[in-house]
Amino acid sequence: MRNLIIWIALAAGLIVLPNVLSFSQQEVLVFLTINILLVASYRLLTLTGEWSLGHVVIMGVGAYASALLTKTTGLPVPLGILAGGMVAALIALALSYPLFRMKGFYFLIGSFAAGEIIRLLWKRFRDPFGGTKGLKGIDPMPDFSVGFYNFDFFEPTSYFYFAAIVVGVCLWILWRIEKSPVGLTFHAVHWQDKLAQASGVNLRAYRTLAFVIASGFAGISGALLAHYIGTINPNSFDVEVMVFVLTWAIVGGTSTFYGPILGCVVLTILNEVVLRELGLEQTRPLIYGLILILSILFMPNGLESIVQKFTRRKEAGLMRPEEAK
Amino acid sequence: MFELLAQTGLNAVYAASYISLVAVGLVLIFGVMGVVNFAHGELFMAGSYVVVALYADRFVPFFVAVAAGLVFVGLLGLLMERALFRPLRDNPLGGLVASIGFLMILQALAVLGFGVRMEHIPPVTQEVIAFSDRVRLPVARLYVIVAAIVMLSLLWYFLKRTRFGWALRASAQDPQAAALQGISVTLTAKIAMFIGAGFAGLAGALTAPLVSVNPYMGHSIIVTAFIVIIVGGVGSLEGAVLASIVYAFVHTFVTTFYDGVLADITGLALMLIVLIVKPTGLFGSADRA
Amino acid sequence: MTSLLQVKDLTMRFGGLTAVDGLNFKVEKGTIHGLIGPNGAGKTTTFNMISGFYTPSDGAVLLRGEDISGLQMHEVARRGVVRTFQHSTLFAELTVLENALVGTHMPFRPNIFAAIFGWDRDDRDGADARARDALRFFGLGDLMNEHAGDLSHGHQRALGMAVAYASHPDIILLDEPFTGMNPEETKHMMGLMKRLCSDGITILLVEHDMQAIMGLCDNITCMSFGKFLAEGGPAEIRNHPAVIEAYLGGARHVA
Repeated sequence: MRNLIIWIALAAGLIVLPNVLSFSQQEVLVFLTINILLVASYRLLTLTGEWSLGHVVIMGVGAYASALLTKTTGLPVPLGILAGGMVAALIALALSYPLFRMKGFYFLIGSFAAGEIIRLLWKRFRDPFGGTKGLKGIDPMPDFSVGFYNFDFFEPTSYFYFAAIVVGVCLWILWRIEKSPVGLTFHAVHWQDKLAQASGVNLRAYRTLAFVIASGFAGISGALLAHYIGTINPNSFDVEVMVFVLTWAIVGGTSTFYGPILGCVVLTILNEVVLRELGLEQTRPLIYGLILILSILFMPNGLESIVQKFTRRKEAGLMRPEEAK
Repeated sequence: MFELLAQTGLNAVYAASYISLVAVGLVLIFGVMGVVNFAHGELFMAGSYVVVALYADRFVPFFVAVAAGLVFVGLLGLLMERALFRPLRDNPLGGLVASIGFLMILQALAVLGFGVRMEHIPPVTQEVIAFSDRVRLPVARLYVIVAAIVMLSLLWYFLKRTRFGWALRASAQDPQAAALQGISVTLTAKIAMFIGAGFAGLAGALTAPLVSVNPYMGHSIIVTAFIVIIVGGVGSLEGAVLASIVYAFVHTFVTTFYDGVLADITGLALMLIVLIVKPTGLFGSADRA
Repeated sequence: MTSLLQVKDLTMRFGGLTAVDGLNFKVEKGTIHGLIGPNGAGKTTTFNMISGFYTPSDGAVLLRGEDISGLQMHEVARRGVVRTFQHSTLFAELTVLENALVGTHMPFRPNIFAAIFGWDRDDRDGADARARDALRFFGLGDLMNEHAGDLSHGHQRALGMAVAYASHPDIILLDEPFTGMNPEETKHMMGLMKRLCSDGITILLVEHDMQAIMGLCDNITCMSFGKFLAEGGPAEIRNHPAVIEAYLGGARHVA
């Protein structure tokens, strides 16, 4: 019952939120929503202990796939977004064969190389990828009405509602996976792969599963992005964006589901709203870099550790003294 | 045809020279500190901007500016060691992230100090050694080649023939055992960071008049350096040099006979194949996986 | 009649060193079989070959007559051969109950689609019950919500066995199970192993300390310097001249 009230309040808050923001802030809100899915899907991969540097390129695979499919085959945009996720998952499945011969640092670098190759392929093959200039005039979401509300996708607010619903469903699925025996097995693979294997866990299969699922959701986030901004190019998915994803995850912390999302929200607000409003356009990367360094030095377990400290104290306060120790 | 091959070969030797300076520094840092320094490309960039500031803007003699570049970037390395890598010694992923933060700061400082425009640097010398009409080596490139050979030879001598070098290699192999032997891990870390960063700065400074200097030039350098250290075997200095030569030749020839993007793809594919077939690198020893 | 587990001419070479050399022995169903020998005899290497951690250089491991050598560890496990590890190899960051739940991976194989839509209620309940049973069996019923890394050494060893037991194995391979246990814990654990055995689970255990397993094993294989030395019941092995020589001689060699 208490949970239900919290969810209703959250939904109401999200419905009201874009209406109190400026136009440019509404745009930031749409990007933030898409990035939340990106970083949450990234966390699913990190559950198995592997850190990829190709995640943003996989997001781009979803974006290119959906943009091209809707343009060439006339597939409706919502189905295109789904297809984008599926194509990204399939590409990840293909990549998993070479990449999961490696672990740790080698996987990190290998995923980076694989991603850069994909990006260079987009650059080199003007047909169908549009070369360096990328794809333009990507089909927008068609407007529609649900009776009480008219979705007009030239408005960021409408796209925010649409994206929030898609992202919400995706997050729910990611959450269900993490809290399931499959999620527990991901943890097991991370912490003690030998013991997991001795319990009958096929390590390669589970690493691949996490990579494919994470990539599928990254693909959906890419497709959401493509149909919003209408134009994508290889540089929309370069390593700088990847660095942002990495920092969201690390500043937020990756031991909880909400950690990376928290990192994404806080850093985005800081970067896009606070620093921009202060007129620090050119020094933004400088301050961002400083924040990154300071947070890794003084908050190695991420923002989530602060939240945890707070919630634990509350729990401890409720306990009887002899249990509280 | 022969002349084209010879000219492309010369270009490759030049490319191999500065790439190996950068890659050897990266390997040295990785070996001793255990962190992947993502800011290494920006250290190269910083070296270039020292030349912009001193040689192009203030007319300091070129080689003085280059030496200043080496020292300045070496000091940046010491700063990174003290401020980032030492506190994060037990957290390699943290070290990597901190180096990304440092990268962003260096880039932003370059933008603030010099703007995002390409820097125009007056040529150091117009002299060209002409082997024939079509086979020519600009002397400015020769400087880079000579500097790389000299510095790498000095480093080799330092590592293999001096006590400091021995300590450095010992702590790269096993920091704890080295500490038990009375080797100061902090001191070896400082030396490795100064040399590693300094080499990147030197390469950036020497090549500054030959490339387009801008705040974002570090990206392609770091990608190249990663390819090279993987192909060469992470942790192997000799491997890094050999792999630099292999990479420079492959890349230069593919660029000349096909195109630059295909050359980049070839380089990355080369690295991916090495990773798949022999993750310890072509020249890395098998037991240092 | 085929034995449950048979090791045939098993050989492992590391470079120039032959760690295990043409080893043969059989483990019969429903018995507790000990594999002993002085330090460096090749016991753990043998163990690692049986469980699929190493691929033998030569020879075969037969499970009910089927050659399982060279299979990966999870494939061996799925055929009913589950091992524990020396030292306290556990999921230290997870709770005791979660550790045991990982052990139920084989009998209750997770299905991702069912998990998303919540159609795997029965499996989850089954896994939970199985994990709790296994923990209670090993006396860890009160510690289910502790982090495995916070447990005492003896409890950690017990948890390692509970994880293996949770997977319903036909045969458990125990790698030096009594290390780090005080005499009382050892005695208790021996009782539990006898109960496991009477439940129909076959046990193969590797132990350095000969005395610890004399009262436990039905059959003992002794090896020395990678080779088969002797086999028989506890009394036979205790009085076997070659075994005594190996333990004393081995000690001399070490010294």
